[in-house]
Amino acid sequence: MHDLPQMNRRSFVIGTAAVGGGLALGLELPFGQARAATGRPEVNAWVVVRPDETVVIRVARSEMGQGTITGLAQLVAEELECDWSKVTVEYPTPGQNVARERVWGNMSTGGSRGIRDSQELVRKGGAAARLMLIQAAADAWNVPAVECGAVGGVITHKPSGRTTTFGKVAEAAGKLDPPKEIQLKDPKDWKVAGKPLKRLDTIDKLTGKLTYGVDVKLPGMLNAAIRDCPVFGGKVKSFDPGKVAGMPGVKKVVPVGDSAIAVVADTWWQAKTALDALPIVWEEGENAKVSSASIAEWLKAGLDAEEAFVGNQNGDAKAALADAAKKVDAVYSYPYQNHATMEPMNATALYAADKCEVWCPTQNGETALAAVIEASGLPANKCDVHKLTLGGGFGRRIFTDFLRQAVAIAKEMPGTPVKLLWSREEDMTHGRYHPVTQAKMVGGFDAGGNLTALHMRISGQSILASVFPQNLQNGRDPATFQGLNPSGVEAAIGYTVPNLLIDHSMRNPHVPPGFWRGVNINHNAIYLECFIDELAHAAGQDPVAFRRKLMAAHPKHLAVLNAAADGIGWEKPAPQGVHRGIAQMMAFGSYVAAATEISVTGGNKIKIHRIVAATDPGYAVNPAQIERQIAGSFVYGLSALFYQECTVKGGRIEQENFDTYGSMRIADMPKVEAVIMPSGGFWGGVGEPTICVAAPAVLNAFFNATGKRIRSFPLKNHNLSFA
Amino acid sequence: MADRRHVSTATRRQFLTVAGSLVGSVAVASAQTVRPAAATTAAAAIGELVGDAPVHQGKVKLEVPPLVENGNAVPLTVSVDSPMTAGDHVKSIHIFNEKNPQPNVASFYLDPRAGRAQVSTRIRLADSQKVIAIAQLSDDSFWSDSVDVVVTLAACLENPQK
Repeated sequence: MHDLPQMNRRSFVIGTAAVGGGLALGLELPFGQARAATGRPEVNAWVVVRPDETVVIRVARSEMGQGTITGLAQLVAEELECDWSKVTVEYPTPGQNVARERVWGNMSTGGSRGIRDSQELVRKGGAAARLMLIQAAADAWNVPAVECGAVGGVITHKPSGRTTTFGKVAEAAGKLDPPKEIQLKDPKDWKVAGKPLKRLDTIDKLTGKLTYGVDVKLPGMLNAAIRDCPVFGGKVKSFDPGKVAGMPGVKKVVPVGDSAIAVVADTWWQAKTALDALPIVWEEGENAKVSSASIAEWLKAGLDAEEAFVGNQNGDAKAALADAAKKVDAVYSYPYQNHATMEPMNATALYAADKCEVWCPTQNGETALAAVIEASGLPANKCDVHKLTLGGGFGRRIFTDFLRQAVAIAKEMPGTPVKLLWSREEDMTHGRYHPVTQAKMVGGFDAGGNLTALHMRISGQSILASVFPQNLQNGRDPATFQGLNPSGVEAAIGYTVPNLLIDHSMRNPHVPPGFWRGVNINHNAIYLECFIDELAHAAGQDPVAFRRKLMAAHPKHLAVLNAAADGIGWEKPAPQGVHRGIAQMMAFGSYVAAATEISVTGGNKIKIHRIVAATDPGYAVNPAQIERQIAGSFVYGLSALFYQECTVKGGRIEQENFDTYGSMRIADMPKVEAVIMPSGGFWGGVGEPTICVAAPAVLNAFFNATGKRIRSFPLKNHNLSFA
Repeated sequence: MADRRHVSTATRRQFLTVAGSLVGSVAVASAQTVRPAAATTAAAAIGELVGDAPVHQGKVKLEVPPLVENGNAVPLTVSVDSPMTAGDHVKSIHIFNEKNPQPNVASFYLDPRAGRAQVSTRIRLADSQKVIAIAQLSDDSFWSDSVDVVVTLAACLENPQK
């Protein structure tokens, strides 16, 4: 990563200075530089080998801290047989991907899909490059390629012992036709992939070399601050640009769409100061009447509504519940939450009559490019997007609202690059929020204490109805049932209940929902796993033993549950004053479980002593990175559990900054003991699944400690905090 | 909305008819929906339209972005190289796709009074796929153009049931 030109601040600035504000700006430089230096160093789309033996691996997915560029580079390098210490990575632009007929495939980075959806493509890319390099060497030696092999970037003709290096034959290799047949290695033979290698971007991150969106500086660039109507769906009624026209640095006041106003100035602070002084009258509309209380009331009515979309059904749950010897029920709810990325939304746009370029952190370069094409009105081949490292994504940067705003502003100032940066307040109040839901859980037992029926009614917001209505199925949002599906490789339920009904009364408030790291699994796991604990308690059974009986037909779910239970020492007594909780789930193709040990003092101070978390992701490309993702999932999931709620008042979000939207501190965080147990035969994700078991594993332990069930969140609303 | 410069003489009723099946539409000529085709594939639906007649490449230009952010409303324009005279004009323009539940998305019927052989509309695309436009001329010949469109889905929830 030391040689990652388009992310490297120094080469970025040099590049932009060299072209003096023209359209061919710095981030295009790496490709030009590489070609200029070596002629034709590209072996194929994935691999560039320079004469100095540096191997540049191109990665299509976005890095946002999850480590995907390192993992994907490991997979390419594994098949390439290069020297890992010589590997650097770079992003192709989405425009290059379109121009080359999507040679790098889908650039989307979400749904814990970075590695699992592209592993085959990138491995084949690395293998093809190796075969071409070997062929080039064999051609030069005039020997059959089958007599040659490659290890560590060195090609050897086995019979004669002659050797050469990748760097020496790369140019010739790049002229060969790609091989038609490619045999990938069996993962059990991996030497680079599957190993806990260090991340490629750590040093550049620590030394400040990486360029994030907020760092972008282009020659002649102006800065913009924006304010969108605080009530979602509202509009600008009037504004008075004359009031700020003379303020320092102010260049222009620009309406953006019908709901936002931006101020463009020399510096961002000047723009923000003028925006604060700008009189804007909003037409807030009907949504201004909506509050958290009115939403909750609407959702509550859905808990018993007659009509609902069915997500999973077997037997006759309603009849079985009517006949049950014993019934248990509970109502849970889960709030709106913001992604609250450390780096607020931003994008830098340069628009001219014949070209539009955008520099931004994005989770999907292609989606960003599509948005630029549409917002600029220019043809696809006149637009491009330069991806920058993300200061947090978590699903928020799959959306392009901020990018479209930046293009709209830049269109008003042709030829001048404009950086749009949202304030923290704008970011907190114009998110794409974790959807709001409630759930009514009802379980029924027969006289023998066996669970015979379970009805889970979810009431609340659908993400797809708002974001991708074309993907609803006869009005039903299939994604609502994440982790609750009857079967499938993505997110199936781990329990077999003789009479089961899981259904959804869809109620969509005006607050825009989005994909918040983990998505629907976060609330589904709390509802299901806490209620399963309630059922175990009602039946007088141990929560692990109770689960095991229901999980006999789900061996992979059961295996991670057992691993977490064994890791925490479930069968042995806990230390004095310490209480345990457990939860399991399947999501994003992986099986996860967590067990915790906590103590509670004064009835409301929670100390988490231990967390054991088991994951079966099928294959483990970088176990060290998976371990960190698992640990990080608890930081994210427990911050949400303890602190995070976006409330609605007057149609707008009330929380504007971190004083009212907290996250856990390092002193609150216990060591996470990760059990990585890849069982092979499938590819699951790791960036998101574990988040969902964090909360129920702590909540179930809290019950064991206090006898209290918490069914609404965050915990701060119950006067509960970290000890 | 589609290109406002080409708002035509279509009546409000006709407009609403087509808009009901599409996602907002403006056509240069009188437009009407076709019944949902019984055909389940684009090839079969095209067969129902053209029968045994050959479909030529050319004359037709289908403009649709190669990359769209969201398949919910994909803008497209079909223009045909035609003088639009009584003796030589475009009779109809048909739009097909490979992966939507209904392969024949829309049909537009034109006559010389349309003036220009061009229609613009927005359609839904459930997934990345090929979109095909076929024009029938007044000599009953068929001409076609196609574009591969990538719908850049948000991957957080791709294939949720898989």
